[in-house]
Amino acid sequence: MAAAPLREQLSALLSSMFSQGLVDEQFEQLQMLQDEGGTPGFVAEVVTLFCDDAERIIAEIATLLEQPIVSFDKVDAFVHQLKGSSASVGAQKVKFTCMQFRQFCQEKSRDGCLMALAVVRNEFYDLRNKFQTMLQLEQQIQAYDPKQQ
Amino acid sequence: MGAAAAAAAAVRVLVVDDSPVDRRVVERLLRTHCGDGSGDAGAAPFHVTAVDSGKKAMELLGLEGRRRKQLSPSAAADADEQAVDIVLTDYCMPEMTGYDLLKAIKALGSPNSIPVVVMSSENEPQRISRCLTAGAEDFILKPLKINDVQRLRKCSGARPKAATGDRDNDDDDRCSNTVISSSRTKLQPSDHTAKKVATPEQKTSHLAGLAMVMNASSLEVTHYFQFIFQFIFKFILIAYAVLCLSQLLHRWSNGSFLSLWCA
Repeated sequence: MAAAPLREQLSALLSSMFSQGLVDEQFEQLQMLQDEGGTPGFVAEVVTLFCDDAERIIAEIATLLEQPIVSFDKVDAFVHQLKGSSASVGAQKVKFTCMQFRQFCQEKSRDGCLMALAVVRNEFYDLRNKFQTMLQLEQQIQAYDPKQQ
Repeated sequence: MGAAAAAAAAVRVLVVDDSPVDRRVVERLLRTHCGDGSGDAGAAPFHVTAVDSGKKAMELLGLEGRRRKQLSPSAAADADEQAVDIVLTDYCMPEMTGYDLLKAIKALGSPNSIPVVVMSSENEPQRISRCLTAGAEDFILKPLKINDVQRLRKCSGARPKAATGDRDNDDDDRCSNTVISSSRTKLQPSDHTAKKVATPEQKTSHLAGLAMVMNASSLEVTHYFQFIFQFIFKFILIAYAVLCLSQLLHRWSNGSFLSLWCA
């Protein structure tokens, strides 16, 4: 009974994430894989992996852009990596910002890259906050109704 | 005995990807859609091994290769049953790319060439063409979808049974280990005989790859023609300008210009 409002909250959160374009159908596929495969913690695991990986990559990019001579190839490689993992979890907005970031890398524009990095960082942090809320709600729901898994 | 039989029938996939997220997602996708009751009943399950680099993949495959060399030819065929049935590799990886891994696998040993499927998030026709030419069974765009699992299954068992000559489309038959060693001879890109006896599934995958390349390159062709037309137009303009200039110079040299001027 107590899990019902939490489920509604979770459902509303997920709906808003989809409607705002934060996540796309790939995230739906992850949820389907979790449901069909009978692995309750799969989405949480993948989301956590993504957040850790993205944080590492963003830090690496920031370090590279601080160098006196920027290796745009290396920056592009990291952005490509972030774009790939974003696509795999369905992080649509982060993926799109990475695509724009790569344009600046190809133009070898340091200012453009710095600006794009700020955008990517903001979008990632926004998504990460939503993911954290989502995971907290799922944990609370599971605490109320562990048999539901 | 049932479990052993099921394990023997499993399709052993080696997933190579430097992204931990992608490795996990692909692994889950293959394990979920493997016939464990998730809907594809009767299909052989996937046994997934995931590594994070081409180097580790080569080490894993190289161990199997060294083991085969130590065995008699008949035992070597049996050893293939312990080997990887198909390699699914990401294209973009540091140090050793998926393309490098593909070429290395195809160069290992012609009778035992393991099918390789390349995946990438970039839909580049040149990349696709390069991989297919190098011997890749298929090229899949990331992120992988559920229907890509079926493509992978077909690539892993695309070779017909050598023992029975059966060319059915049943996935179970194609996943049989008895098929693998004798039918691998049909995967050599340089072997024209092998191409002639390619299975319909192999042909379909190659056609699909060509279709992907052509579709993706259609935009490039349009741009190419635009460039050609612009070049021709500019060339005509320049040619006309040169012709007019030469006429003027000719008249000037003949003095007609001065006469016109005086008149």
